[in-house]
Amino acid sequence: MTLLARDPRAPFSLTPALSQLGRRTQRSDWVLTASALALALIGAVLVWAATRDLQRAAGGDPQFYLYRHLFNIAIAAVLMLAASRLDARLLRLFGPVVYLASLLGLVAVLAVGSSVNGARAWIRVGAGFELQPSEFMKLGLIVGTAVLFAHRAAARDDDRPPTTPDVLLALGLIGVPLALIMLQPDLGSAMVLAAAAFGVLVAARVRARWLIGLLLLGVVTAVLAVKTGLLAEYQLERFVTFTHPGRDTQGAAYNVTQAHIAIAHGGLFGTGLFRGPQTNGGFVPEQRTDFVFSVAGEEFGLAGGGVIIALFGVLCWRGLRIARKAGTAGRLVAAGIVCWFAVQAFQNIGMNLGLTPVTGLPLPFVSYGGSSMFAQALAIGLIQAVRRRTAAAER
Amino acid sequence: MIATLVASMVLTLLGRLYYVQLLDRHKPLQLAGSVYPGTIIVPAPRGAILDARGRPLVDNVFARVLTVDRQTLQALPDHGAAVLSKLAVLLGVDALTLAQEIQPCSPTVPAPCWTGQPYQPVPVAVDATTAAVLTVSEHREDFPGVAVATVTLPNYPGGSLAAQLLGYTGLVTAADLANDAALTDADTIGRSGLQQQYDAVLRGTDGTQLVSLDPQGEVVGPGPTVPAVPGDTLITSIDADVQRLAERSLVQQIQASRATGQLATAGAVVVMDPNSGRIIAAASYPTYDPQLFVGGISTADYAKLTAPAANDPLLSRAIAGQYAPGSTFKLITASSDVMHGEISLNGTYPCPGSLSIDGRVKTNYDRESFAYPLSLRDALGYSCDTFFYAPAAAEYYADQARVAAGRSPAEYLQRMAAAYGVGTAPGVDLPAGEQASGSFADRASRLARWTADKARYCADAAAGFPTVNPPTRRAYLTALAKENCTDGWRYRAGDNADMAIGQGETTMSPLQLAVAYSSLVNGGRIFAPTLGRAVVDGAGRVVRTITPAVRNTVPVSQQVRNYIASSLSFSRGWAVSGAFAYLNSPYRDLIGGKTGTAEVFGHGDTSWLATWGPVSTDARGAVRARFVVVGIVEQAGTGATAAGPMLKRIWDGLLGVGGPAVIPHSRPETTLPTLTGRSR
Repeated sequence: MTLLARDPRAPFSLTPALSQLGRRTQRSDWVLTASALALALIGAVLVWAATRDLQRAAGGDPQFYLYRHLFNIAIAAVLMLAASRLDARLLRLFGPVVYLASLLGLVAVLAVGSSVNGARAWIRVGAGFELQPSEFMKLGLIVGTAVLFAHRAAARDDDRPPTTPDVLLALGLIGVPLALIMLQPDLGSAMVLAAAAFGVLVAARVRARWLIGLLLLGVVTAVLAVKTGLLAEYQLERFVTFTHPGRDTQGAAYNVTQAHIAIAHGGLFGTGLFRGPQTNGGFVPEQRTDFVFSVAGEEFGLAGGGVIIALFGVLCWRGLRIARKAGTAGRLVAAGIVCWFAVQAFQNIGMNLGLTPVTGLPLPFVSYGGSSMFAQALAIGLIQAVRRRTAAAER
Repeated sequence: MIATLVASMVLTLLGRLYYVQLLDRHKPLQLAGSVYPGTIIVPAPRGAILDARGRPLVDNVFARVLTVDRQTLQALPDHGAAVLSKLAVLLGVDALTLAQEIQPCSPTVPAPCWTGQPYQPVPVAVDATTAAVLTVSEHREDFPGVAVATVTLPNYPGGSLAAQLLGYTGLVTAADLANDAALTDADTIGRSGLQQQYDAVLRGTDGTQLVSLDPQGEVVGPGPTVPAVPGDTLITSIDADVQRLAERSLVQQIQASRATGQLATAGAVVVMDPNSGRIIAAASYPTYDPQLFVGGISTADYAKLTAPAANDPLLSRAIAGQYAPGSTFKLITASSDVMHGEISLNGTYPCPGSLSIDGRVKTNYDRESFAYPLSLRDALGYSCDTFFYAPAAAEYYADQARVAAGRSPAEYLQRMAAAYGVGTAPGVDLPAGEQASGSFADRASRLARWTADKARYCADAAAGFPTVNPPTRRAYLTALAKENCTDGWRYRAGDNADMAIGQGETTMSPLQLAVAYSSLVNGGRIFAPTLGRAVVDGAGRVVRTITPAVRNTVPVSQQVRNYIASSLSFSRGWAVSGAFAYLNSPYRDLIGGKTGTAEVFGHGDTSWLATWGPVSTDARGAVRARFVVVGIVEQAGTGATAAGPMLKRIWDGLLGVGGPAVIPHSRPETTLPTLTGRSR
């Protein structure tokens, strides 16, 4: 690696420990971290509200999921801190490693994974924990593609947009995990993965004809997938449900209808915490994960839902701000991560509101689930690392 | 660009949220209550099957079943993986299979899967061992979601007694559910024998337990119950004692024949009431234990039962087996010959050691020959083959002349065989696949088969069986194929002669032979025999009686029947082949019988004996008998040596020689047993 020759601190470096905490935290974007943390804590309350009555009815601990979620937040915080202490220049070194490791995870899940709700997306790791490698793949792909573009640009040493070989290599990097995730099949993750990769391409200033071509390809593929029956039956059902919501309220459309009822019931300020009949009655399936936004909609109303949406807005704003100031690799990573969060949050809240079709995607930071929380925390940490590097370079 | 996109997404979501929560005038409302109804099926106990005297052949037992509640398992942190693996060890099954079996079936979940309602506990061990039940009961904390339930299961108190007649049961499958809307996933259904034939009456009507379910599909409270209506009881004409005697004698004979060096691979016995057409016993060897199938048979057990080495124990050879009847067929040949004037009851005809027909030499069994002409009485008694060849050949040539003259052949022998029921399903009350029709050749069938197969014959003749070894066999097969290719449509004089002695393409089941011989001693009636006698409901009311239908009367005069029966009476001693086993029996003069020793290409001879007795003469002078007993042992030698002693033990039992009669008054049971309430 060329990097090794240039950087005497290679192969790996963490900024030295706590004595430098002050300096380090000054360089972090506190608003970014705070909005992520706020979302996670709101998530803890919503998950609690979504599960306590059902847990109690089943004879379990009403706080079981609350504690699990807080526990996940604690682990996620550690991961975020660790990621933020990485030297962003080392991205080039560990970029390929992160990419390949997540790819291996995807292969493993196809081989030994367990099936939940029709898709083979989880690896059981014991003690009731399950890993969902596609969550980490999002991060791996963003870092992998960003490093590729940065590396090619540095080797070329000019300011021109990425060449055709650059783009083709990147498309190769994107295509492999995309195909593996489609095999699970996990349509939602594939969409987010494609969106995040697209964000990296945009940030890498890939020529417009490429971008437009890829968008067209995406549309054609989607049409063909539906026409040729490439999609699993349950996936098609969800789309039909989306286009004809009233058709089958006890079947595939049940989720959407119940979430809609819950949110509509909320009004301006909601019913108040633990007072939502839809939530307490357990009418919305998967409410602690994919449909957690419906809890906010019912119990905290327009105000609560608006705060969550606004927090995502702030998160993306801060991320883009950091991207704008960063070097090539940092910019691409930050932009990719912002696109990931934006698209996933939009898709998730959209399906809660009946705006987008149902795909099994969690709401970043808010939904219950370790894998997604950890991957997202690492992503925030990475943006912070990019920012610290930028700040260090500015000095 | 990305910033604009993000901003528009935020605005879109906020706008939509505002619309859904505040603007929308047609807000959706929760329509259903907080609970909705669900149904749990309470399976009905299957009806019993009783013998002619009301003794159970199949009844019910209570069995303990381990069930798994998926909802409880799903709520566990590991989704019940630990519980399932512990349970798998306890039951000695694979944990992964167990996990698959309890998943509700759906388009994305293929078999094995649970066909029932998702909220219903899934039975995982039917008729669980006491150890498993105790472990689960005593360590409830280790087995959350696992419960012990009680169900009724079919029980065969006689073990393998009448196994093929009663048939086995199976748990309902997804395919069954698709075929029959009346079935539920909790049902046990009859898969063979009477269990299958009378499944609709034996099955009963399942009850239902309505329950209230919360939105998660969990049961929150019980609702009204519709109790299950147990299946009706089937009373059969089988006499358990006679059946047991027949099975024992059959096994004893198989062992005895094997001891003399015969293969004696299989055998069968039929005991019939010739006057009613009811089957009193039908034994078949080898046999099996239908209890193996209760609650679902293991793959290993099923493989064992269906392996070639097992020699088809599931098949009732008495009813579904098809064999060349050999000389026992001479009842039909003699009937035809006399009725069509080809043989006179007063005449005598030659019985040479061999006879040349159509250029082929046909011999008597063991080249036996008589220097003087025989009467029909002696020809039947000594079972001379060549005696019957001459009229068969003559009949054949007369038919050829008719055909040459453009008329239809008369085929008297074939028509008589058909009148005796050969070539038609016997119509017994068993599934269609479990009763053999028998067969015979005639001109039309030969031509039809040749038309269908000639392309294959001619191709084989041209190819010459290159893969077959040794060359002599290859040459034989090629010559045969050539002959079939050009002349396979021809029905020959030799074919007719073969049929006259129950060989060639002539086959019958032991039951068909029993029906044919019944007509000899019941005035000529051919019955569609039955096993079922009546269906009785839970209150002891007879809801249906089953009576064998008379399908036709054979076109044979009573004088001829009396002549044939008296010719074959064992009272004639050595003059009747097969009688020697009975020479010292006190009832020797009361029974008669015809032996058969059928040659099977490449195998040992099939030993046949068809007997009837005790004989009497009715008011019109017609010969009558109370029982017809037919026996067969495959690859066991002559009729007299194997089937003879086998049936003698049964006659001893029926007539109470050497012990009390196994059947009261040595008569078939004619009245229904009275059932007081439930017999289970």
